[in-house]
Amino acid sequence: RLDANLISVVPEKSFEGLLSLRHLWLDDNALTEIPVQALNHLPALQAMTLALNQIWHIPDFAFQNLSSLVVLHLHNNRIQSLGANGFDGLHNLETLDLNYNELLEFPGAIKTLGRLQELGFHSNNIKAIPENAFVGNPLLQTIHFYDNPIQFVGQSAFQYLPKLHTLSLNGATDIREFPDLKGTTSLEVLTLTHAGILLLPRGMCQQLPSLRVLELSHNQIEDLPSFHWCQRLEELGLQHNRIHEIRADTFVQLIALRSIDLSWNSIRFIHPEAFVTLHSLTKLDLTDNQLVTLPLDGLGGLTHLKLQGNPAVSEPLTKESFPKMRVLEVPYAYQCCAYGSCSSFFKMSSQWEAEDMSPEEEDPHKRTMELFPGHADNQYDLDTDDLQLDLEESKLHPTVQCTPSPGPFKPCDNLFE
Amino acid sequence: VHPNVSQGCQGGCATCSDYNGCLSCKPRLFFVLERTGMKQIGVCLSSCPSGYYGTRYPDINKCAKCKADCDTCFTRNFCTKCKSGFYLYSGKCLEKCPDGLEANNHTMECTSIVH
Amino acid sequence: AVQKAIIRVIPLKVEPIVLEGEFANVAEVTPAEGKLLQSHPLSLCNTSEDEHTESGFITIVKLEQPDRDPNPCLSLANKAKLAGERGARAILFDITDDESAADQLRKPRGLSQPVVLIRGHDAELLMGVVNKNREAHVKIEVKEPPAWPDYDVWI
Repeated sequence: RLDANLISVVPEKSFEGLLSLRHLWLDDNALTEIPVQALNHLPALQAMTLALNQIWHIPDFAFQNLSSLVVLHLHNNRIQSLGANGFDGLHNLETLDLNYNELLEFPGAIKTLGRLQELGFHSNNIKAIPENAFVGNPLLQTIHFYDNPIQFVGQSAFQYLPKLHTLSLNGATDIREFPDLKGTTSLEVLTLTHAGILLLPRGMCQQLPSLRVLELSHNQIEDLPSFHWCQRLEELGLQHNRIHEIRADTFVQLIALRSIDLSWNSIRFIHPEAFVTLHSLTKLDLTDNQLVTLPLDGLGGLTHLKLQGNPAVSEPLTKESFPKMRVLEVPYAYQCCAYGSCSSFFKMSSQWEAEDMSPEEEDPHKRTMELFPGHADNQYDLDTDDLQLDLEESKLHPTVQCTPSPGPFKPCDNLFE
Repeated sequence: VHPNVSQGCQGGCATCSDYNGCLSCKPRLFFVLERTGMKQIGVCLSSCPSGYYGTRYPDINKCAKCKADCDTCFTRNFCTKCKSGFYLYSGKCLEKCPDGLEANNHTMECTSIVH
Repeated sequence: AVQKAIIRVIPLKVEPIVLEGEFANVAEVTPAEGKLLQSHPLSLCNTSEDEHTESGFITIVKLEQPDRDPNPCLSLANKAKLAGERGARAILFDITDDESAADQLRKPRGLSQPVVLIRGHDAELLMGVVNKNREAHVKIEVKEPPAWPDYDVWI
């Protein structure tokens, strides 16, 4: 271990003879260059960190003799440029960490890393991910590249990555088309927000059979395809788009879908059968659309429903329609009255009628005794289970959070009917 | 001095408080989280304890846990010594060596078959 | 209006205490209960995984003065979210030394696990339980807001 020193140069013969050396720590030093010559004598090296130095460039063939290297950490340096053959020779590399550097361009030198599984280049200055960017890295499982000013992403950049689970792209404003993800069949989480996507391809779900989370907020999508083939979809985020209609087949047969966010769109019509097959749906956000009515079929399992910002939706919402409701946001206060917000909805246990008792004025010891009046004078020794029984009677009924809650100037009776 | 901060911080802490222990470490030291019953406090060590690996960052050096089958590791995904019952091969802990390699019960590693 | 919370703390083999806090709007206002566990503020960062694997606990985080953690790894809302993802059923923040936390946790984010703020004497009692006991059970309940008076409205 040579980490956390002030090493600025590693002489050529420093590691000569160390034919069995496997792990090298050179992080947190003052190196300004890759010690290419010194690294030429380490055939057994498997893991190396050069993180937290001042390295600014990776020359061609910098690691050419490190054929056993599996892990290479270069994070927190000043790397701005990378030779096209900078990583040649690293035949067994699985993990490459280039995070927190100053790279201006996509590190194309990774094309020779056929066994790469984990790649990080987040927090750099990269503006584009080119076509076929990862064509040489079919085993990639994770790619972290957030906190880059990425504007452009090649249509084919993320193709043929059969082990990739997560893909997050935020703020790439030049993206107009949904990426072609042919061959990236294990993708479970796809986040593509704040871009300029207008249209979702019809065959999108056929390419992504394992998709669980699809987050497409802040795009310009107007028309939705059927997500029918996204059979494992659990969360769908489409807020802040231009969607105007939900058809009968849009969400058909998505039996795992738990949450849909369609807020901040222009939805005027939802087909009466749009939600019928969504047996797992618990959260539906339709805030700020142009709805006139809400089809109730299939929404019986909702725990969260948001409808504020749809002034034309004035029908009352009965408790029978939403037996499991916990958080409800509606256009008008009187629509909350069905949920008991007008009077105290739950009863306190008699032991604890704490109407206006402010905690500061009380002595905790007294407060405790009040809880267990029968034990005023002695030191009791109750096991948790016994305590549990005592407390059961004071169990409070869960409350429904309904807003806007009625009040003196937002009465329960619709005065104009 | 903030009433909540003990006068002298323990060991290698640069800053600390009664409830949370160390909040930051002196240079070069590693920050580790220690749990005893309900309590969890920060401590500062010159190297990470067994079963943990260290990663240096500009603002803090941190220890994190190796995988369950690994005793010592370089990163979470690269083990350097496996727990008993596992063989080490290229940073991974295997119950059985891959084809073409043989299990060395002395070093507990998978090695090339010597003909 | 701030929604008050009743926090019943039941240490093993010691008399229980009842404290008060307030629900933060970042999360839902809903009851919760579980085993009490303290989390160091630095344990709720993406780069550090808390070694606790069992879920179903209620975590208490004692926040330090803001100047003692000038660039926090995550916002408080994201720390609460991370704690929920790690199995916490509710998150208690002791904000005695960081009143700004209340503002940071005011914006609704729809987090499923309730977030409760506690300060002053109640917070001191709670941290005292953490310091002096090996185990405690916690129940968080929604304190009924006083019913609003009847108004006669004439039009």
